[in-house]
Amino acid sequence: MKRTLLSIILLCLCLLKVQAQGDSLQNHRYVTRATLYGIGHTNLLDTYLSPMEYTGAELRILRENMRMTKYMDGKVSRQSLFQANVSLTENKAATGSEFSFLVNWNLAYHYQFPINENLTLMAGPNLDLNGGMIYNFRNSNNPVNAKAYANLGASGIAMYRFRIKVHPFLLRYQLNVPLLGIMFSPEYGQPYYEMSVSKDWGKNICFTSLHNQPSVRQFITLDFPIRKTTLRVGYICDIQQAKVNHLKSHAWSHAFMIGFVKHFQLFNPYK
Amino acid sequence: MKNLFAILSLAILLTSCITEDVPDNTPKGNFEALWNIIDTQYCFLDYKHEEYGLDWDEVYRRYQNRLTDDMTKKELFQVLSEMLEELRDGHVNLVASHETSQYREWYDNYPANFVDTIQRIYLGKDYAIAAGMKYTILEDNIGYLYYGSFSAGVGESNLDEILNELSICDGLILDIRNNGGGMLTLSERLAARFTNEKRLTGYICYKQGPGHNDFSSPEPVYVEPATDRVRWQKPVAVLTNRRAYSSTNDFVGKMKEMPKAIIIGDKTGGGSGLPFSSELPNGWSVRFSASPMYDPDMKHLEFGIDPDIKVDMTSEDMSKGIDTIIETARIYLRNHKE
Repeated sequence: MKRTLLSIILLCLCLLKVQAQGDSLQNHRYVTRATLYGIGHTNLLDTYLSPMEYTGAELRILRENMRMTKYMDGKVSRQSLFQANVSLTENKAATGSEFSFLVNWNLAYHYQFPINENLTLMAGPNLDLNGGMIYNFRNSNNPVNAKAYANLGASGIAMYRFRIKVHPFLLRYQLNVPLLGIMFSPEYGQPYYEMSVSKDWGKNICFTSLHNQPSVRQFITLDFPIRKTTLRVGYICDIQQAKVNHLKSHAWSHAFMIGFVKHFQLFNPYK
Repeated sequence: MKNLFAILSLAILLTSCITEDVPDNTPKGNFEALWNIIDTQYCFLDYKHEEYGLDWDEVYRRYQNRLTDDMTKKELFQVLSEMLEELRDGHVNLVASHETSQYREWYDNYPANFVDTIQRIYLGKDYAIAAGMKYTILEDNIGYLYYGSFSAGVGESNLDEILNELSICDGLILDIRNNGGGMLTLSERLAARFTNEKRLTGYICYKQGPGHNDFSSPEPVYVEPATDRVRWQKPVAVLTNRRAYSSTNDFVGKMKEMPKAIIIGDKTGGGSGLPFSSELPNGWSVRFSASPMYDPDMKHLEFGIDPDIKVDMTSEDMSKGIDTIIETARIYLRNHKE
């Protein structure tokens, strides 16, 4: 299973590489970078730790790097999204707490479909890597559950450019959906101690798809200029869910983000 | 293009919420939640049905009749605690802010077989303490080492120093009476000092699903010798009583497989299920055995391990300040001097 999935991922990356042999445009040297900081609310469920939902505040950082590529006559952009979020939550009765930490790296290639001079739609595949953990402060031999999963998914962006007076604005909506992946998960009642003595981790690596990992990440952002800088405000709806090995988990996060955008051009000083 | 957006649309439609059905925070709801946690996650239901006729469905019927809508939280705690006592498991606790339930019959109904005031006579005044271990050398050149809790983090260098100090002795008494357990890794660490080769000491399973018999294949558990460390090469007598429980029970199971070890005293208290935790809608926490451990013959160790030499402390000896179990171990070690 792991080998098949790895082959699919490699095949997709190879296809992109093959398409990269086409002509290039110079705009692949323009890079947009943004770093956003946010605060939000999260709702956690991990039945390995507890059947109860835990809710509380979360802090999130998002770093985006986007540039055009030479692929497909320069109509493909490459987006790298790095996110990290921490949360401290408690159960409804306020008798137990959980701490969670998740890091996500998302690499997407979008083909651009200009609809008109204001609106551009973009769509393409993405690679989604995630790692982290949830720690329950009062559990005995199941205090922590590690999170590690990788997906191949679909990503879509709608970008709308407009002006108010002379000032340029950019409104953007992005949707990332994992379609196929692998996920680490302990089995239903498997202690991590057992994993430490076992050499067979086969059942801890699960195949995931829409049927058992119906997850979605949505971003809405607005870029607007303030003097010589560009400010970005946004909202992230991060819905991560899974049902594997008879264990259910979800992390529903909603965060408001704010940060700055930088645009610059790469150049080779030796040319 | 159209296909891609169709896939995205389908993906959104399939993004349904994954949630867990949890009963309401009412006496009935909390009762249901607790009964279900045990029914789906507790690992000894079938074994205990065979051993003493535990019928968890019958328990449900019997205890639900004691519920009322207007019962206080203390009354509810009492009913739920008594229901959990049906499991006869010291690893099962219900934890509320006002009380923690505990099944104690696994030691209350047996001789204590340990008196700390008598132990003090054997330790004398010049005993040493290191990382939760007390040790001394008795008059007949037998080493005496007391380890009262596997939660006391003893390190490899502690063990090196202690065993080195006692290496002049003809034998070692390793007293783990009243040791209620702690970390399994410390049980392994200590046992690794008593073997020169890798030994199979048992098996561990875990539940793969909510069915009573949804167990994984048994995974062998080995003790490997502590390499480049001080290892005990002479006879060792492990002293036990009923309050040797959980990780201590596991340690005794491991020492049973060591060629120069003998178990002396009373049957251990058991507790071979690795405990997990969960919780109820009202926020009470519940701990329960989730993962059973077995001996090398795949026999359950939940209700304790029989000693090789069964001895109880006698009233006559106790009145004289004599620990019958320590004395039995001294005689054994003197007779098996190498």
